[in-house]
Amino acid sequence: MSPVESDEEDLTRKQRREQAREQRKAMEEAEAAGALRRKRLIQLGSAVAAVVVVVVVILIATGGSSSSGIPKSKSVQTKTANSVQQLIAGIPQSGNVLGSPTAPVTLQYFGDLECPVCKEFTNEALPSIIAKYVRAGKLKIEYRSLSTATSNAEREGAEPAEIFKTQQAAAYAAGKQNKAWNFIETFYREQGEEDSGYVTEKYLQEIAQQVPRLNLAQWTAARSDPAFASEITADAQAANAQGFTGTPSFLIGKTGGAMNQLTYTNSPGEPAFVEEAVEKLLKA
Amino acid sequence: MSARTLRITLIVLATIGLGWATYLTYVHYSGEAPVCSLKGNPCSQVQKSVYSELAGVPVALIGAIGYLVILGTLLIGDDERARFATAALTLGGFGFSLYLTYREVFTLHKICEDCVASAVIMTILMCLSVWRFLRGGETAGAALDDDGGPPVEAGTGVESAAPLGTAS
Repeated sequence: MSPVESDEEDLTRKQRREQAREQRKAMEEAEAAGALRRKRLIQLGSAVAAVVVVVVVILIATGGSSSSGIPKSKSVQTKTANSVQQLIAGIPQSGNVLGSPTAPVTLQYFGDLECPVCKEFTNEALPSIIAKYVRAGKLKIEYRSLSTATSNAEREGAEPAEIFKTQQAAAYAAGKQNKAWNFIETFYREQGEEDSGYVTEKYLQEIAQQVPRLNLAQWTAARSDPAFASEITADAQAANAQGFTGTPSFLIGKTGGAMNQLTYTNSPGEPAFVEEAVEKLLKA
Repeated sequence: MSARTLRITLIVLATIGLGWATYLTYVHYSGEAPVCSLKGNPCSQVQKSVYSELAGVPVALIGAIGYLVILGTLLIGDDERARFATAALTLGGFGFSLYLTYREVFTLHKICEDCVASAVIMTILMCLSVWRFLRGGETAGAALDDDGGPPVEAGTGVESAAPLGTAS
């Protein structure tokens, strides 16, 4: 073998060794990359498993049942309870009447708890009327029922008339503890979307639970009192006698005297139509 | 997509999510009606519902804190641990968004577009950050190569722990 041939053979051997080293290195790198990828997938898998566990725990803790009503959050309920308290705390109540029994003027308010226009009147006009006249002992307001929005509402598994009676009896039953107005004010503040079927037993219970110091056992027992069904019928008859077909509708007059119809001119959210009528009766 | 572009995209998304969740937290505490184009403002109904809070804490606030922490993991660096933290947190956020969407659709029967917007942001964040974690620093090296910098080896955990703005 010539020296040139020997050199060429050495070079080829060197190249082969180099190639083998590179292949080994490439394999090791591929293995390392594969191991890293597996490690990352395991880490992600663990994170996904932890997230699934947490979500399932939250689902179980917050209740898994479907409900057509939309119960309000605790902070909304607290806000509502505080605003209702601020509005009517310290004002005498008797049954469904808010205000001093000796107030010279009486306003009868025919409403449907599911009626959005009543909500507008209750939330926007009533606070001013209550502050100026009811708290001052000049006016008392009697809440009477008239089924409007509720009777138009479609329900699954319950007749609208029954729903109306149930929700109205729930309000009147709070009146047995002289807290009907707390119930009514809370209901209007948390009123749901019309025709959505939000008034469920759970919803009524939640409204009652927001009424401060309402004895829930007594309230529950009172709800089945047949006297409320008669009262609701009497309310409807009184409304029919006046020709009322919509809510809110009003009668106003001197306490113990003749009652006259009162209608709002612009918006039920503006208190002026009631305030002017009260002023007139106070001066008469 | 270069590692830098991906990280900037994630930071922008997390910032938008943080802003949105902060707005919804403000709406929750102020009692104002949220911006909503749907009839009957279902967003307001959803955000005043019992499911708008978890153990007394508004879910919008939980979301804002979540976005803030995600943003933190994106800003501290671009190493293996930071990428995993971002991916794990966005997976958590995605799971939480799934829970809230379930409550909207199957319990309240309402769709809140504000909540859907946040869920969409979180879903995109999750997809991108999981992709970023799985591919590791490989493309970060490629990006540096593009810029003329030295190639970076994947999986060392220190390959690009530089703050954003430098060539990472």
